[in-house]
Amino acid sequence: MTDHKAFPTQEIGSLPKFSWRTKPFRQQPLEEGDIAVARAWGRRLGVKNLEPLLRLLKKRSGFTDEERRRIVEFSMLYAIAMQEKAGEHLREPGLDLVWSGEQARTEMYETPVSNIKGFEFLGRVRSFDNKYWREASVRRKPAYLRDYHLDEFLYTKSHARRRPKIPVTDAITIVAWSDHYYYTRKWGRRSLAPAAKRFSARREMTLELAGVIRRVVRDLLRRGAREIQLDSPAATQYQTVEDAKLVAESFNETTRGLDGTFSLHSCFPPKYGYGILFPHLLEAKNCSRFSFEYANRDGYAVGVDDGRRVGYEDLKLFRDYGYEKELGVGVVHVHTDRLPTLAAVRDRILYAQKVTDLPPEKIFVNPDCGLRTRSPEVAYEMLGLVAAGADEAREALAGN
Amino acid sequence: MHWQDILRPFTTSVKGVKKGAMVRWFNTNTFYFTPVVAGELLSDGSAVSRTFNPSLVKSGAITKVILPDPLTFVELAENSYYTSRERLIFAYCDNVLRPEVEHLSRMGIGYVQFSAPGVVARFRGKPLPRAELEQAGEGLRTVLKGVKVRSGYHTFFGDAAPYLPALFDLIPTDDIGFDFTETDPASLGSGEGLIAGVADARSSYVESAGELALRMGGLGEKFRKITLAPSCDLQYVPRSVADAKLRNLAAARLRLIGK
Repeated sequence: MTDHKAFPTQEIGSLPKFSWRTKPFRQQPLEEGDIAVARAWGRRLGVKNLEPLLRLLKKRSGFTDEERRRIVEFSMLYAIAMQEKAGEHLREPGLDLVWSGEQARTEMYETPVSNIKGFEFLGRVRSFDNKYWREASVRRKPAYLRDYHLDEFLYTKSHARRRPKIPVTDAITIVAWSDHYYYTRKWGRRSLAPAAKRFSARREMTLELAGVIRRVVRDLLRRGAREIQLDSPAATQYQTVEDAKLVAESFNETTRGLDGTFSLHSCFPPKYGYGILFPHLLEAKNCSRFSFEYANRDGYAVGVDDGRRVGYEDLKLFRDYGYEKELGVGVVHVHTDRLPTLAAVRDRILYAQKVTDLPPEKIFVNPDCGLRTRSPEVAYEMLGLVAAGADEAREALAGN
Repeated sequence: MHWQDILRPFTTSVKGVKKGAMVRWFNTNTFYFTPVVAGELLSDGSAVSRTFNPSLVKSGAITKVILPDPLTFVELAENSYYTSRERLIFAYCDNVLRPEVEHLSRMGIGYVQFSAPGVVARFRGKPLPRAELEQAGEGLRTVLKGVKVRSGYHTFFGDAAPYLPALFDLIPTDDIGFDFTETDPASLGSGEGLIAGVADARSSYVESAGELALRMGGLGEKFRKITLAPSCDLQYVPRSVADAKLRNLAAARLRLIGK
C-alpha cells in the first residue's frame, strides 16, 4: 500500500532488549540499575502506566509466568514508543510503520521453529562474532501448531498509534538455518548428483514450510493485520539460479490466495550483492516492497553521485528490470555504533530516489536490518536518523 | 581463538588493509568484514598470533593454525591499490603470509593450513584461471621456503575436480585437502599428502566410523599420508555434533589402519 507521503519510514527488524526484559527469563535477579534504566527510558519515551511496571520490577526475582508476560508487554510498549518518538525534536517525529521490535520473541528463528511441529533443537551455532542461534533439525514433515505471532500482533495493534506491521520469518530462512535431516535422508536415496540432492531436499522443505507459514499469515490477516513483512535474511545464502527462483516461489507459496500488503526484507548478501537474485526475485508477484540493506556497504561522505553512494549500486537492478512497486532502503548500518551524519542519510535517500526514478512515495526508509545488537541509546539515535533523514530529504525535494 | 572470522586478523592488524562491509561467507549463515586493500600490504608477523593464547602451543600436541589462502583472500578482498590480482596475490604472500608463517613457526606451531574455498566455490561455476593457481603456488613456495612447519591446502564448499591434477602439481604444501561432500574421491588420482574431508561438517547427521571409513574407498593405497578430516570448518554445526564427528573420525582411522 503506497503512502501519500514522500519517503515513509519503517522499522525493519529487531530492537535491543533492555536488561529488565531479559534477566527475568534467564533467572537472573534484577538490580537497582536495571530498574533505574526502566524508569529513565520509560519517562523519556513517555510510556504510560509506568508505575505498575516499576512496582513489578522491584520484585527483582522469582517472577511468575504471568508477571513475565506483563514484562514482555511493557517491553513491547517501550519498543513501539521508541519508534513512534524517534527523532523527537522533529515537527512530526516517529516512524510511519511500527511493530513490537521482536520483544515478544526469543529471536527470529527460534520462536517460529519452537512453534512448528517437526523440529528438534540441536545446539548453538555461531553466526557473526559472538552471536549464536539455536539450530534445529527437521525430523519429520513440518506441520502447523499455532499462530505464534498473533498475541504480539494484537498487542501491537491495540497500542500503536502508527500503522502496525508484522514481520514473519520466511521458509527460505528457516530452511537455511536448520539441519535438513528428514529431507536429506528422503532425497539421499535418489540417484542424483550430490548438489541436485541437496537442492531437491531444501526445495521440498521450503515449499512445505511455506504452507505452514501461509497459515500463520492467514490467521494474522483474519485478525486485522494488513502489512506482512516476510523476513528473508537467508535469501542470498545459496547462490544458484535455482535457489534464486526458489526465493520467489517460496514467497508466492506463502502468500498464495491471501489478501494483504506483503513485503520482503533481506540483508548481507555475499560479495556479489543482490544481483544474484535477479531477475528471478521479481517473480514474487505478491510482493509490493523489497527492503534491503545498503548502508553497510556505503561511504559516510555527503553527496548524491555514484561515487559517494557506492553502497546503493544494487538499486540500479530494480531500475534496469523496470520495477515499479515500492522499495525499502536501508540508510543506517546496524553493525557499528558509528552514526552517519544527517546529511549523509538524507543523501542516501535522495540518491535512492534518483537512481530508481520511483516516486518518493514508493521509497520507504529504514535501518539496514534489526538493531538488536546495538545499545538502546544507539538504536534510538539510529531510528531518529531514519526519521530525520527522511524529513530532510522531503524538504530537499520540496525545495527543488 | 579471539578472531571472529578467518579474515579478521588481516582486516584489523595488517597495514594497508581497512575493514569494509559485512558480507556473507560463501553459502553459509556466517559473515566477514571485507578486507579493503587501500595501501601496500605489510604485516609484522603477529596479526594471527595475537589472536590466540600462546599456552595452546605448549600442550604437546601439534598445533595447527588456519589461514586464508592467497586466492581466497584475493577473491574476497576489495583492491584499490595493486594494479592487478597477480600483484595482490604476491603481495599477500610475500608481505603478509610469509612473516605470519615465520612467526607462527617460531612460536612452535607445527602445522599451517591454507583454507581455499575461493578456489572451488566459484560463483555460478565461473572457473578459476589456471594462471592464478600457478601464481598462488609460486607465492606459497616463497611463504614456506625454509620454514619448519608442515602445511596443507584445503579446498571446500565446491568441487575441486576441475582443478585436478593441477592442485597437486602446482600447490607446494605437504597435503592437499578436499571436501568429500563436493569432490568425488574417485577424481583424486594419487599423490603424497591428502586431507580427506570425509565427515560432512555442514550436516548435523553424525556419520558412524564405518560410514566414514567407507567414504575413503581405495584411497589408502593411492596416497602416502592421509589425514581424515571434516569437510570444512566445524563451526556450522553445534558443538556437541562437532565433538561427535571428531570422535568418529578418530574411530574411523583406527578401523582403516586395522586396530
